[in-house]
Amino acid sequence: MTGRSLTHLSLDDLDAWLAGQLGPTGHAHLDGCAECRELANTERILVNHLAALQVLAPAPGFADRVMASVAIPDPFALRSMESARRRLFTSRRSVAIAAMLALAVAASMAASVVWSLGHRQMIAELGSWISGSAADWAWIGLRGAVSSVMEQPWYGGLRGLAGSPAQIAVASAVASLTYLSGVLALRKLMTLPTGPVSHASA
Amino acid sequence: MPSGGLDLASATDQEVVVLARHGQQAAYRELVRRYERPIFALVFRMVRDRELAEDLAQETFVKALNAIESYRPEFKFSSWIFKIANNAAIDHLRRRELDTLSLDGSPHAETPEAIEATALQIGDRQETALEEVEARELGGEIEAAIARLRPEYRSCILLRHVEGRPYEEIADILGLPLGTVKTYIHRARNELRELLAHLKE
Repeated sequence: MTGRSLTHLSLDDLDAWLAGQLGPTGHAHLDGCAECRELANTERILVNHLAALQVLAPAPGFADRVMASVAIPDPFALRSMESARRRLFTSRRSVAIAAMLALAVAASMAASVVWSLGHRQMIAELGSWISGSAADWAWIGLRGAVSSVMEQPWYGGLRGLAGSPAQIAVASAVASLTYLSGVLALRKLMTLPTGPVSHASA
Repeated sequence: MPSGGLDLASATDQEVVVLARHGQQAAYRELVRRYERPIFALVFRMVRDRELAEDLAQETFVKALNAIESYRPEFKFSSWIFKIANNAAIDHLRRRELDTLSLDGSPHAETPEAIEATALQIGDRQETALEEVEARELGGEIEAAIARLRPEYRSCILLRHVEGRPYEEIADILGLPLGTVKTYIHRARNELRELLAHLKE
């Protein structure tokens, strides 16, 4: 602020005045210039009113709604990745080993793709042979299992149970009751304790 | 990573961001707590619709927090989040023009319930009833005057004189040269002075 006493305050001067940093020449001009003094005072009033505007707040629960929409990374996964990364890059040797392994995996995948493209006929034949054989083996397995069950000593009694509709109904009811008791027992075992745990406060 | 005994409320934004990057939910919540009011206030004064402002503020936080990994710590976190909020508001204003200000509810609210539901929630300042009425009337005049400014001027004046951000940070937030920001702020103040001149009488 030199040689400004004859010219009005610039916008930067006004900012400096609002921030309490106007130099002595500027103050001298303000003392002698009613126009600038009025402008500066109006600016100060306006700025003070702007700064004092009401604090606006979003509705309650805003933070909860934001948090529900944010995908927070799992700290355990982050720690595991960080520790693996740190272990991997501890020395040049470990980096070289990791690079070689990655290269070997990439090379073997590429070789596999190339081989597959060159032997499409063979892969198709192999596929049809495997599906045909699988059906045969499944049928043989099923027949074997059924024969094995029929040869058991308890098979006659089991077959006798299915002799009349009343016996089937009794057998089904007993089986259902056994199943339900098992489910109830499991639920009871898996329920978390609701009362205070004696050693928890220690 | 545990907070290592770090008190979140007294930690710097950068420290809280580091904890958030390590998956600490409390750090995310702290960032929301710190900026929910200024971000909402900025967006509300830009778009002048409470419901919309909440949506845009929420969108701002979700965008920022989901991309916390891409935040560069050499910049201020406040600049980053204000930039996202301002862009969201400006994008909206470009798509749709709103020209009525209502302190008592959304201009789109049609029923008394909707008006009440969208009315402004004033933050916790202690004032007497008379002071509150006077401040509300004067504040309403100022809010209305701000609403009549061009969106670029509005962003600048709100960030400078309502949020108290320095010129350099405003230039960073708005992606404008420092000189342009200063010019916009001075023009905005001139326009506000003219718009509020009747209050002097």
